[in-house]
Amino acid sequence: MPITTTRRRLLAGSVATLAFPAFARAQGAVKPRLTAISQWSAGSDGAAITALGKKFEEKGGVWQHSPVPGFTTEMMNKLRAQIMAGDPPACSQLKGPEIAAWSKIAPTVDLDAVVAAAGYEKVVAPDLAKLHKPGGKWIALPLQIYSTNMLFLSKRAMDKAKADKIPVTWAEFNDLAEKMKAGGVAFPIANGGTRPDDGQKFEAALAGISPLAYRAAIMNLEKKALEGPEIKAAFAQVRKIADWMDPNVGAQHFSTNLKRFVDGDMGMMIMGGWAQGVLRNAGFKFEDFTIAPGPSDNGKPVFLLNADAFIFWQRKEADLQAGQTLMAQLVMDPAIQTMYSQITGSIPVRTDVDLSGEGWSDGQRTTAKALKDAIASNQAVLSMAHNMAQENGMTAAMIDVITEYVKNKTIKPEQAATRLAEAVEGAR
Amino acid sequence: MRPARPALPEWVRRLPEYLMIWVPLLLSAAHLVSFSLWTIWISFTPSTLIPVTGWVGLRNYSAVAASRNWQIAFDNLLLFGSAFVVLSAATGLILAILLDQRIRGENVLRSIFLYPLAVSFVVTGTVWSWLLNPGLGIQKLVHDLGWTSFRFDWLIDRDMAIWTIVIAAIWQSSGFAMALFLAGLRSVDADIIKAAQIDGAGPVRIYRRIILPSLWPITITVVVIQLQFAISTFDLVRALTNGGPGIATQLPALVVYDLMFQRSLLGRGAAAAVLMLLILLAVLLPYAAWRYAQRRRAAYA
Repeated sequence: MPITTTRRRLLAGSVATLAFPAFARAQGAVKPRLTAISQWSAGSDGAAITALGKKFEEKGGVWQHSPVPGFTTEMMNKLRAQIMAGDPPACSQLKGPEIAAWSKIAPTVDLDAVVAAAGYEKVVAPDLAKLHKPGGKWIALPLQIYSTNMLFLSKRAMDKAKADKIPVTWAEFNDLAEKMKAGGVAFPIANGGTRPDDGQKFEAALAGISPLAYRAAIMNLEKKALEGPEIKAAFAQVRKIADWMDPNVGAQHFSTNLKRFVDGDMGMMIMGGWAQGVLRNAGFKFEDFTIAPGPSDNGKPVFLLNADAFIFWQRKEADLQAGQTLMAQLVMDPAIQTMYSQITGSIPVRTDVDLSGEGWSDGQRTTAKALKDAIASNQAVLSMAHNMAQENGMTAAMIDVITEYVKNKTIKPEQAATRLAEAVEGAR
Repeated sequence: MRPARPALPEWVRRLPEYLMIWVPLLLSAAHLVSFSLWTIWISFTPSTLIPVTGWVGLRNYSAVAASRNWQIAFDNLLLFGSAFVVLSAATGLILAILLDQRIRGENVLRSIFLYPLAVSFVVTGTVWSWLLNPGLGIQKLVHDLGWTSFRFDWLIDRDMAIWTIVIAAIWQSSGFAMALFLAGLRSVDADIIKAAQIDGAGPVRIYRRIILPSLWPITITVVVIQLQFAISTFDLVRALTNGGPGIATQLPALVVYDLMFQRSLLGRGAAAAVLMLLILLAVLLPYAAWRYAQRRRAAYA
């Protein structure tokens, strides 16, 4: 019988072709697959997640990462669109209290079993762990940590000030800034003009003055703490810092001024640990700067935590579910965290990773030690400026007050404290 | 001789025209109207991260109107809108009059003045943010030339920063006003000008009494187009000052974006967007009324 191509046969054939892959998937031997979105497309961030994808593929998985470059909000818009369309990625970047907020709009994966199997909970800072298990179950996994209040000291500016002691308290910090000014450093504080930049100055000041007050006022939004004397003291310290900054920065990114910082034209920089990666990428040497924990009046390091994380969204497909398990295992793996942090300049989430070996910088070791000490003395708190302490709406309301205060020198610290309390009330 | 084609019915012959005009028009109108209605609906719901149903009355509106950001943005809009519209129209008119003097190289000059319009606002904002930066741009240049007491630090001055946006916006769009005015100047009836010259009117008098009055309709067009641009300004400010120093140069469009996408408060963002729409209508409705009145007068004249 000659084979004739009838319309019906063609149709049956194509249906079979279409159905076959699904059939194969259902028959066991699923190949883990992961759809992921993040904003990490370029630079060290892009390199790190690409390396993570390679590891995923080495384990036999299919890695489907769609980066959304630009601001975090751009990535969030894509995530929002996918969730509303009922097609969330298996895994996406998200951090801080946004994890709790977003977990209410779409079902997430319960990671408790895989986290318990890895023994991960014991090695994560308690405040950080809490953020990733809203409602008591792990639904997201932190990947890497930065401190937002590291103190960077320019070697040449220190020479100009004839100083070699790293300041520990705010009083010592202020003395050093005066010395730098007297020694010919044009601007003792290096800065940018962005909103988080201003927010970081305030959170570093408050947490350094009193981590307890920071926890009560900024993390728990207690009314009494928000009106307390520590807030005013923090604003007063921020005013000093602002007076030492270059007012000509407009809305520039902090990295624009790194050359002036290294040249000793600017002295000290209060910035996240990521600045180390930026400095190194810009071709500056480790000898050009020193990294220390930010000022703390009780002498023990205060660590303002900023952590990137992945949240896992529920999917029905067996291959995506297998991919999620594999991804979770990888993210918690000390070897993977080491690889990731060595590329980006952050420190691992796991407090049990040994940073003494090759591939780690002194800055990273200092940061990791600061985190350990801060956790021991209960002084590891969540960063407000980088959306770890509060949801975005509340953070933005607070930073409105802070950034206006930094730029407008006629506002008194008392006024600013009142406005901050009002802004918090308004955004509740 | 070509054989005569069979005559098509009138409507078939004109079908492409109808399709060309009505399909895109209806599609875009449907989009515009449906999304506007949707935004208005959202502005009355308690939506935050994603749109949800529910009813909160005017709470989103009162929250937006009471916020410092919106108040500053609204004041800025009044100042920026009026300053920008008046100054860019004036600049455009002066350029047009100067170009209208039958000078050599008019084409080249016209292209140069129109050129900024071809540049995106983000680029304009970024370039001017460097030019106006006191530590890098114009102020530094003048200092380096020896005049060290010269000060031009509006970009970082809370009270003056809004004027830097006016400057950049004028640079960008006065060429557009110039082009419209130039067309208007050229369309003035040459016979009337001749007659005025014969009657002994000087050039100043001719401009004041004959040419400028005939430019009224174009002036109104320029003002309305520039105003709606001023109200929706977003990318220029975002690149130039990003609402700073502090929150001194907030504009309504920035507030909408900030509320919707950075603070994840969809309901409030939608309320701010509806307020912007109302401001826009406050400009466009009088214009539409004026056009209507004009047409009626023309019809009965």
